[in-house]
Amino acid sequence: MRKWKTIAKHEYLTNIKRKEFLFVTFGIPLFFFATMALSFLFMGVGTPEPVFKIGYIDNTGSFGNSNFTLYSDEEMARIDLLENNLTHYFIIPENYTATGRILIYSSQKNFADNFKIEDQIRTFLMANLLKNEPPEIIERINRPIISEYFTLNDKGLKNEENGISILIVPIVFSLLFTLSIFTSSGFLLQGVVEEKENRIIEVILSSVSHKELLQGKIIGLGALGLTQIVIWLLVSGSLILINPVVLSLVFSQIHISITMLILAMVYFVLGYLIFASIMAGVGAVATTSREGQQIAGIFSLAGVFPLMFAQFIISTPNEVLAKALSIFPLTSPTAMIMRLSVTDVPFLELLVSIILLAVSAYLIMELSVRIFRASLLMYGKKPTIQELIKYVREG
Amino acid sequence: MERSVEISHLSKSYNGQSVVNDISFTISKGEVFGLIGPNGAGKTTIIRMLLDIIKPDSGQIQILNNTLSGELKNKIGYLPEDRGLYKKLTVMETLLYLGSLKNMRSKDRASKFLDKMGMLPHKDKKISELSKGMQQKIQLIAALIHDPEFVILDEPFSGLDPVNMKLVKDLIIELGDQGKTILISTHMMDQVERMCDRIFMINKGKGVLYGSVDEIRSRYGKNTILLDFEGELKNIPGIRKMNNSGNYAELILEQSADPQEVLKTLAAMVRVNKFEISMPSLNEIFISVVEGT
Repeated sequence: MRKWKTIAKHEYLTNIKRKEFLFVTFGIPLFFFATMALSFLFMGVGTPEPVFKIGYIDNTGSFGNSNFTLYSDEEMARIDLLENNLTHYFIIPENYTATGRILIYSSQKNFADNFKIEDQIRTFLMANLLKNEPPEIIERINRPIISEYFTLNDKGLKNEENGISILIVPIVFSLLFTLSIFTSSGFLLQGVVEEKENRIIEVILSSVSHKELLQGKIIGLGALGLTQIVIWLLVSGSLILINPVVLSLVFSQIHISITMLILAMVYFVLGYLIFASIMAGVGAVATTSREGQQIAGIFSLAGVFPLMFAQFIISTPNEVLAKALSIFPLTSPTAMIMRLSVTDVPFLELLVSIILLAVSAYLIMELSVRIFRASLLMYGKKPTIQELIKYVREG
Repeated sequence: MERSVEISHLSKSYNGQSVVNDISFTISKGEVFGLIGPNGAGKTTIIRMLLDIIKPDSGQIQILNNTLSGELKNKIGYLPEDRGLYKKLTVMETLLYLGSLKNMRSKDRASKFLDKMGMLPHKDKKISELSKGMQQKIQLIAALIHDPEFVILDEPFSGLDPVNMKLVKDLIIELGDQGKTILISTHMMDQVERMCDRIFMINKGKGVLYGSVDEIRSRYGKNTILLDFEGELKNIPGIRKMNNSGNYAELILEQSADPQEVLKTLAAMVRVNKFEISMPSLNEIFISVVEGT
């Protein structure tokens, strides 16, 4: 067996048993689904509708025919309110048609109820104002637009999904994506620094070259990340098959095409490679794992940048910010997945983004191997930028 | 004589500070070679360059008549000075992994070595559960499990108790008998002077002595008295220097001094249990070389 394969196998087998890996793989998606399912649950069931008893005093003398109790005298309404025979009453002033003013009285302050009360009063007023119109017109005036969106281009007509899925799919997807990339490349950083700290790296380097060691680690942990994604896909797949009502509500909103899946895998692999190579380089330079994590944090920030701007990327997927983020190598994996799930990205942009990502992944890996080789055994001392440049040149 | 290692004009500096300065030596096949010098002299840096772990600034290294390659690394065993293992792996897992990196994954060989070192009952324990001395034995086994032709041992005796020290010494002697080429790097000069055929002594990155142990010691003449005694030693005429350990002492004679006269003085001063005129120890030679330069 080639030695990098031995290392890859070792890294894969030892890290797959780690508690951190099991937690991220099973714990976090479980948490996601639980929160989503709960929110759907609450949306569906809701709190019981409060019962309102509403009275009104009509000073114009032209409003009538409703479930509301008409009072001729405000004093009577006030007494009923205080005695809890009414929850609300309202007064239609004489000049209502000119001003639109309605005075609403209630015994308790409750903002949430205000909207519902207002809704009921609005329907009542509308029905009275439009009493000479047919009921369809009244209904239309109440809900003048029920929208459906389509995109029309040379590929034909496509019905666009709407509502919640437009947010959930790209965000959850890119979140898991980023999570997986960071878990694996984080293990890589930890592994390199740990081996440096406990000095076993010298024994390993007396058996294999620096390049073989890094390649083995990167490939082994990359396979780990892929395993994680496959587990997630399998778990979501079987959840759809089991099809509990609440979850099917969640999944009915998610449509992922095969092209999208393939592109997602390409971006995952390349995205992982670029971050893994960076982490390897950071691991080589860092003297302790804490320091390593601090330096790595700067790069990780670039990785989660698209998530912080998810709102803009999703709402304006073809604007400058979204385009720039989906082409810049550190942010492109996540940003492009987000864009792809909300819009049709021009083929050229996709190509440029992938090529740029692949080329920088390769270059960073070469760079990291050189830095790794040059600065690996300078225990306890972090090289300066000038020294790093020198190492890279010499390597 | 066939050469196992040939190092010529090797130099390395960090941040403009020279750590290894124009070092050249060769190690013959089947030889036990000592690379000795105080801490920080550059021994470990030379070994790391030898193993291609770090790159030299200049100079050439040939191992087994070749420049170092992946294939060649399978024939080298290395016990580094800084000892470390994967804490969470078991003893057997560690040996199998490190062995497989040398293309030698063998449970049988691992068990055989563990048995030899008295570690077989611990084979399924995690490394973190082992004592330091035990971990060191595991590392030694890892360095030898693939039956290397050339063994590099960096400070093999540090941190060992007398029992394990003997175990390791016996193992080195056994390896030497098997015709392996061995490089021992240490600052414990008295340990190697009985074991090594030849030595290279290094101080502050520069070579100071190079040759067979006997030849080097005789170069410095029979100017040392080894003394076992009871009593108190003071002011002995004809003695240039004295290393006194209480009831054992090493006395370095002045150039013109007569050992017989010294014996007389000593006999009058303390009870002499043993009196031996000897060549100086490597330690003593080293100190005089360093102080003389």
